[in-house]
Amino acid sequence: MQDFLKSRLTPVGRVLFVLAALAILISLFFPLWYLNLEATMYPEGLSMEVYANKIGGRIDIINNLNHYIGMKEISEADFPELTFMPYVVGLVALLILLSAGLGRVDIAVVTLGLASVGGMLGIYRLWYWLHLYGTDLDPKAAIKIPPFTPPMIGKNQLANFTTYTGFGIGGYLLILGILLLLIALWRFRECDAK
Amino acid sequence: MQNGTFKVIALSLAGLLVGLILAVFLSAQLSPRDEAGGSKAVPSISRAGVSDDILDAALKTYVPPGKHDEYYMVASGGHSGHIFVYGVPSMRRIRTIPVFTPDSAIGWGWTAESKEMLGGFTWGDVHHPSFSETGGDYDGRWLFVNDNANSRVARIDLDSWTVGQILGPVPNIYGPHGAVFVTPNTEYFMMASRFAGPIPFGTYAEIEKFSEEYKCNVSAIGIDPLTGEMELSWQMLLPPWSFDLSDAGKLVSDGWMFLTSYNTEEAYELLEVNASQRERDYILAINWRMVEEAVAGGKYTIIGGAKVIEPTDVPGAVYLIPCAKSPHGVDVTPDGKYIVGNGKLAPFVTVFSFEKFMECVNNGDFEGEERGMPIVNYDKVRVAEVEVGLGPLHTQFDDQGYAYTTLFVESAVAKWNLETFEVVDKVQAHYCPGHLVAAHGDTVNPHGKYLVSLNKLAKDKFLSVGPSHPEAMQLIDLTSPRMKVLMDVPVDPEPHFAQMIHRDLIKTFKVYPKDESQPGAVYKKEDARIERDGNHVTVYMMSFRSRYYPDIVEVNEGDHVTWYVTNTDFDDDITHGFGICLYDINIEAQPGQTQKVEFVADKPGVWPFYCTNFCSALHQEMQGFLLVKPKQ
Repeated sequence: MQDFLKSRLTPVGRVLFVLAALAILISLFFPLWYLNLEATMYPEGLSMEVYANKIGGRIDIINNLNHYIGMKEISEADFPELTFMPYVVGLVALLILLSAGLGRVDIAVVTLGLASVGGMLGIYRLWYWLHLYGTDLDPKAAIKIPPFTPPMIGKNQLANFTTYTGFGIGGYLLILGILLLLIALWRFRECDAK
Repeated sequence: MQNGTFKVIALSLAGLLVGLILAVFLSAQLSPRDEAGGSKAVPSISRAGVSDDILDAALKTYVPPGKHDEYYMVASGGHSGHIFVYGVPSMRRIRTIPVFTPDSAIGWGWTAESKEMLGGFTWGDVHHPSFSETGGDYDGRWLFVNDNANSRVARIDLDSWTVGQILGPVPNIYGPHGAVFVTPNTEYFMMASRFAGPIPFGTYAEIEKFSEEYKCNVSAIGIDPLTGEMELSWQMLLPPWSFDLSDAGKLVSDGWMFLTSYNTEEAYELLEVNASQRERDYILAINWRMVEEAVAGGKYTIIGGAKVIEPTDVPGAVYLIPCAKSPHGVDVTPDGKYIVGNGKLAPFVTVFSFEKFMECVNNGDFEGEERGMPIVNYDKVRVAEVEVGLGPLHTQFDDQGYAYTTLFVESAVAKWNLETFEVVDKVQAHYCPGHLVAAHGDTVNPHGKYLVSLNKLAKDKFLSVGPSHPEAMQLIDLTSPRMKVLMDVPVDPEPHFAQMIHRDLIKTFKVYPKDESQPGAVYKKEDARIERDGNHVTVYMMSFRSRYYPDIVEVNEGDHVTWYVTNTDFDDDITHGFGICLYDINIEAQPGQTQKVEFVADKPGVWPFYCTNFCSALHQEMQGFLLVKPKQ
């Protein structure tokens, strides 16, 4: 273990770290997660995309449709994550670059740990919000439906709408970044020749 | 050895399979399915008891569910004051657009804006729609139409298909039938008087002084190239000759315009007889660029607020071309080289050469003058009298060098060649066609393909609805060597002229953009409110599926109420209505749009209001109450 922490990244390992940082930075510009609604009277499609710092798509229309079942309005202001997530992502990317520069495995491991914990927290929060919105329904709603938690990835049917959810390009870039870190730490290390 | 042979056989079989799949894939790519829907025919298909002709017509006009037509056709609605939008070739009616007549379906004439545009009139007589043009072809920006009754013109903006402006009544002009025909770059459209009268409006003159005191004119309506804003630029006074139709020159003849006249007899009673005495009336040729310059140089007087100029003020700008007989339409060929006078009371169309006309003008080759305007030498400018048949009224063109002329009296459409000036085909029309319209048929770039004959009588063509009949439109196929009627289509009274434009040129928007600066607009329910200022109450109301904020509105009897309705469903096709029971009010707000209605709460009591345009499953619940407290 000591040896592991004292080893250094090979040049290939460092390049993989730089690529990971890039993937994670680029993820800021793409949706992390999406929700697509399909219904006969929306031939043009209806979707919501969650970015690190904003919610895109037609949340105004989705909110309006949701109010019939008493769902709370989805509003950017209600998601504190959106305000600090870009900074967390940026910080992780910086740490990765720092690890790549120094080549030190111990720092790299801490960075990977941080990124993984951040990612898992993100996924937990996503589940939390899905659960909250799907179960905290206004009892006075015009259309009463049993509480539900939409799947994070998959398909759900609600009245006339089929909902497709899943990770967006940004989400996959984040996963790719973490995988690159893992691969680098797994295969591309060398011990300092003292 | 055997193993090797097996390998070869297996490989070649696999190769064949791959090749086959590729071939099927490629052939599907090379002959894609028909995009336009119905424009390609398969005449060889036949079914028991159904003739090839009928199958051909059905295939050429059938547009399957979910597919769109290839062309928009916009037909004037005549004295209904509306315009009608059709899809060609299916001939499905897509929409009615109210222009000069109120229409509660969209609140036209109830909203403050439309009420102001209508200017107190409750009807109009829409005759001739004209698309804006760039370089002599439609550009899909605007549609202009005239009101023959009340001397007005309107612009329809083709991004929203709503009226953007109504200009008029334009001063000094009675019955602008000879409108609207735009110049090739939409610099102007011209309006010419059908009726002569004393000017300005309101002037009294004895009918016996018809020849001296009664005036016609041609009005040039200038169009802002960026906004489409119309304004009266100038008017040229003309003799009381009843001008019928007009067309602008194009390409070689650009800068000129041509008007037909049918009462050079200057009759003022029993025109049917008295205006039909001369064998030839005139087509007036006007060099509008020269007139424009003269006006810019200050050569005008102001009458009725308009800049008015006389032909004699601009020598060399106005000429008379004799044309048989009480001619109706005048149409310039796509290349701009010929001017076609449609004879009406003569059984032929007269084709004039613009080149020869210019020779006469330049050489002073005149056969006389009338009221100071030179008459060009008829025998010199006329290149053909094409014997098309009885009652020729209007001509349109295709892309193959042919012209198509309606024959009102004969109930037919004649096709004739623009080089040989010979009639090559004729098809019966049911009954009595007036105008006709071909795809881009009056531009420098006609498309051919489809022709619609706009018939004045329907008689036995459709299921009877009693003594008042629909008008009849007939779709005629131009893709075969012989013209063929593909379909009969009923239409409300009364399309005069129409225009047919390719769908690719029309770019619409579907939702009004949010605009916080717009007076009265509210986009948040916290901002929805009722304000009182003395006895003036302003309601800032928000409407979205399926509620109004506010939905209880209390005013006092006699209050002046200004009521804004904003539709905050920024969602395609989610329209909300707003009707107040027994208050004679109904309007609509399209997605994102803010509308305004004003009224005096003069009826005390409680009056329900509700969404009149079905919007959602809970549309029926979209309602509220207007409480009008009685005076003490």
